[in-house]
Amino acid sequence: MGKDYILEIKGLVTSFNTESGRINAVEDITFKLKKGKSLGLVGESGCGKSVTALSILRLIPKPAGNINSGEVLFKNNDLLKINPDEMHKIRGSKIAMIFQEPMTALNPVHKIGKQITEMLDLHKPEMTKNEKNKKALDLLNKVGIPDPERRLNEYPHQLSGGIRQRVMIAMALSCDPEVLIADEPTTALDVTIQAQILDLIKVLQKENNMSIIFITHDLGVIAQMCEDVVVMYAGKIAEIAPVTELFKNPMHPYTKGLLESIPKLDNIPKTKLNTIKGVVPALNELPKGCRFQNRCPYVMDICKNDPPVFIVKNNHKASCFLLQGKFRNE
Amino acid sequence: MQTYFIRRLLLIIPTFLGITLLVFTITRLVPGGPIERIIMQVQQMNAAERGSRINFTKTNQSQPLSDDQLNQLKKYYGFDKPIFVSYFIWLGKILTGDFGNSTRYYDPVLTMIVERMPISLYFGFFSLIIIYSICIPLGIIKAIKHKTIIDNSTSVIVFIGYAIPGWVIGILLLLLFAAKFEIFPLGGFTSDNFFDLNFFHKILDILWHTALPLFSYVFGSFAVLTFLMKNTLMDNLASDFVRTAMSKGLTFKSAIFKHALRNSLIPIATGFGNNISIILTGSFLIETVFNINGMGLLGYESIVDRDYPVVMGILVISSLLFLTGNILSDICVAIVDPRVQFK
Ligand SMILES: Nc1ncnc2c1ncn2[C@@H]1O[C@H](COP(=O)(O)OP(=O)(O)OP(=O)(O)O)[C@@H](O)[C@H]1O
Ligand SMILES: [Mg+2]
Repeated sequence: MGKDYILEIKGLVTSFNTESGRINAVEDITFKLKKGKSLGLVGESGCGKSVTALSILRLIPKPAGNINSGEVLFKNNDLLKINPDEMHKIRGSKIAMIFQEPMTALNPVHKIGKQITEMLDLHKPEMTKNEKNKKALDLLNKVGIPDPERRLNEYPHQLSGGIRQRVMIAMALSCDPEVLIADEPTTALDVTIQAQILDLIKVLQKENNMSIIFITHDLGVIAQMCEDVVVMYAGKIAEIAPVTELFKNPMHPYTKGLLESIPKLDNIPKTKLNTIKGVVPALNELPKGCRFQNRCPYVMDICKNDPPVFIVKNNHKASCFLLQGKFRNE
Repeated sequence: MQTYFIRRLLLIIPTFLGITLLVFTITRLVPGGPIERIIMQVQQMNAAERGSRINFTKTNQSQPLSDDQLNQLKKYYGFDKPIFVSYFIWLGKILTGDFGNSTRYYDPVLTMIVERMPISLYFGFFSLIIIYSICIPLGIIKAIKHKTIIDNSTSVIVFIGYAIPGWVIGILLLLLFAAKFEIFPLGGFTSDNFFDLNFFHKILDILWHTALPLFSYVFGSFAVLTFLMKNTLMDNLASDFVRTAMSKGLTFKSAIFKHALRNSLIPIATGFGNNISIILTGSFLIETVFNINGMGLLGYESIVDRDYPVVMGILVISSLLFLTGNILSDICVAIVDPRVQFK
């Protein structure tokens, strides 16, 4: 792992036991996160974005879920191999996470202030109680919560979704983590709040030189937030590229479909949006070979085999047989 | 908050009036009241005097009391007035603390109840403590060790207790530990030499006498509460906020005790006040098996004997207890769940 990178995921496979047997929710996930930069993880609902994020922090629910193989290298240290105590020290302090659902992610029976200072109790035991309370207040100020003194003494149910997500961000940032995993932090919020939260995350990233994994299914958000993009489809990586490259020169038919489905200003109003036909196959009835074959407009016979990864350009890779002969295999 | 509880307390009044009026009316309508009993007693006395040669069924049908005597009796028991009038007379007496006299033993009802109270309080209080202090930890262990040997084997035990009636367990325990092995006494509350014992031995003596009945009381009561605890805790363990807690760097154990547990106590707290009334109701079957003179037995006998002043007296006390128990539940829930607000 080069010195520009802080986190590297290699060949990650995570599976769940379900009624229809053992299924791999994500398979062979490999990508690198640059120091101080943002990497976007996009894909339709159910493609394994959250599972990837939870695997990094080893928060996959046991015993139903299990990380079968792979490496999660954080500064050359494999997080999947360290003992639980070391993992507890990394969670929150080095790698923090913001979750998809601000409405349920906070504990309903504890005050906001307590939930923020709990993080400091865990990772900054040298701080006094007063310092912790002051820090919590500063954090709420920083994430732009009006009247923070009062908020500290309120319970989650007294706050709106946007404020709760800000509290989650304040909490995640309380120990100045090096990596922030933001799992669809704005999906549950309305558009204006969404823009505010995204701006906030960008500002805070600059301040702390934080690296971010930004999960979303909205390519517009990716364009605004990230330097690199990982496109996932049905548990596998379809394409990886820097953001401008991906938008200019998409290689995988799925990425093309995603880009075409973004509404544009020069579209004729009230016409149908381009959408990708069909639905994502369920994980227990995946087709043999390429997982996108049942929806792909360019499907060929060869797609019954597993597509290799082709290197389009430096940092731009895609996994599709259309690229065979044009680019070299990985 | 304060106004809410004042309103709840005031609501006790109409509810209490409703309950007592209903039961009072029933005591008037159900056959076999005190007058019928006196008639029967007189008949039996007459029959005994005249000897057994006289046809019993025939005497039974004839009415041994004169109309005058009957009217006197009706007046004595207040049956000569309309239901509402006598209900309010009864209510007026209750409000002054006059519970009347037993129509069977002619003792003051209040004295009879107060005599039985300590023993029922003892069993009720200890049952509550035992039930909660076993069910909550057991539920936690079962949730954490879901589907392991500990979980499955305790489920079997708890369900056996749930399926077998308490008095059957009582009889089995008596046969085994009092009759066959003579480890525990056959019944009663204290030994004959109780008053000669010092304080410490007095406690031991009571515990020794009450171990078997206490066990019979509580053994069937574990299932509901244990599984309530287990299931709510398991739901909370899978919840988003526990995942958040883990993502902050808490160990699984602290995530359980600092985050999941308090949330899981909310449904438990909801039921707490209702359980208060078991302090008084007891179980007459277990009391019969172990020869304990508690409220359960008193209540049962008073109904069988149509001893209405006693029935009404117990009703007054148990309904008040039940109604305040409900308010207590609300207070408990408000303590553990900040989302609950009383307006
Ligand atoms: N606890 C679980 N038990 C069984 N299967 C699970 C579990 N969690 C996730 N999965 C499966 O893993 C797959 C990926 O889920 P994941 O939550 O990662 O999707 P996602 O990309 O985050 O979707 P969304 O955009 O809706 O959040 C899904 O098909 C889901 O069925
Ligand atoms: Mg998700």
